[in-house]
Amino acid sequence: MTTLLIALVVGAVLFAVGLYGALSQTNLVMIMMGVELMLGAAMVNLVAFWRFLHPGAFSGQFFVLVVMTVMAIEADVGFGLGTGRFRAKGSVEMEEAAELKG
Amino acid sequence: MIWQPLAVAFFGGIAVWFGVAVFRTRSMVRSALSLLASMAAIGGMFLAMEAEFLGVLQLMMMATEMAIMAVFMVMYMMDPGGLGQMDMSHQKRSSLAAGALGGLAALGVALLVDWGPIAPAAPTAGEQTRALGIEMMTRSLMIFETAAVTILVAMIAAVAVAIGRRR
Repeated sequence: MTTLLIALVVGAVLFAVGLYGALSQTNLVMIMMGVELMLGAAMVNLVAFWRFLHPGAFSGQFFVLVVMTVMAIEADVGFGLGTGRFRAKGSVEMEEAAELKG
Repeated sequence: MIWQPLAVAFFGGIAVWFGVAVFRTRSMVRSALSLLASMAAIGGMFLAMEAEFLGVLQLMMMATEMAIMAVFMVMYMMDPGGLGQMDMSHQKRSSLAAGALGGLAALGVALLVDWGPIAPAAPTAGEQTRALGIEMMTRSLMIFETAAVTILVAMIAAVAVAIGRRR
């Protein structure tokens, strides 16, 4: 039980740090780093649940692969948007991107 | 297995330490390297929790992704080394409150829920890799294919967005 709790506590703290980063940063790449940390926290929890609760159920491990795919897609789309924004405005500062609100 | 909680706590501490360091430095490159260290420590946690395949995958994938991130940082920023000490944050108090609230909620769930009996042992690394492959190619095949098509669509969309309009 101790190891599961340690992993869950680490996941919770990483999620909190990532949420703070995603909300407090103005640079697109730094915001993406916050999101990556939150997804990392989710992966820690998934692996802990798999190992300590259901080590015979490999859908748990597969879920981690899905989260890794989500991280790759997030980086891919984020850098695509960043490059488009940089080409158009010369900056990826999101405080200067208020017109994206629609 | 006395080493397991110690190893998970050790790598978890490193992951949190470098996770915090990502947002404490003004240097973009240091931020990317701190995130790399944090993600590598998460890979270490996977290894300590006997998920060998996922641990190695995490280490390899994150090393590549963070290297790419550092390159983009240098491309986009006028001051990637943070020498000008420019502050790139806003709404710090509300972000801190939201982060603390989210963390406390997650901690509350982690500590207050009865998780039931703990499994004493995990399958060996070879059995895990085989079982994960079978899971991927049988029951979760549709999800696997959907993820593959989604990432292909995202790549095409990202290139289309990055190229911009032609006049």
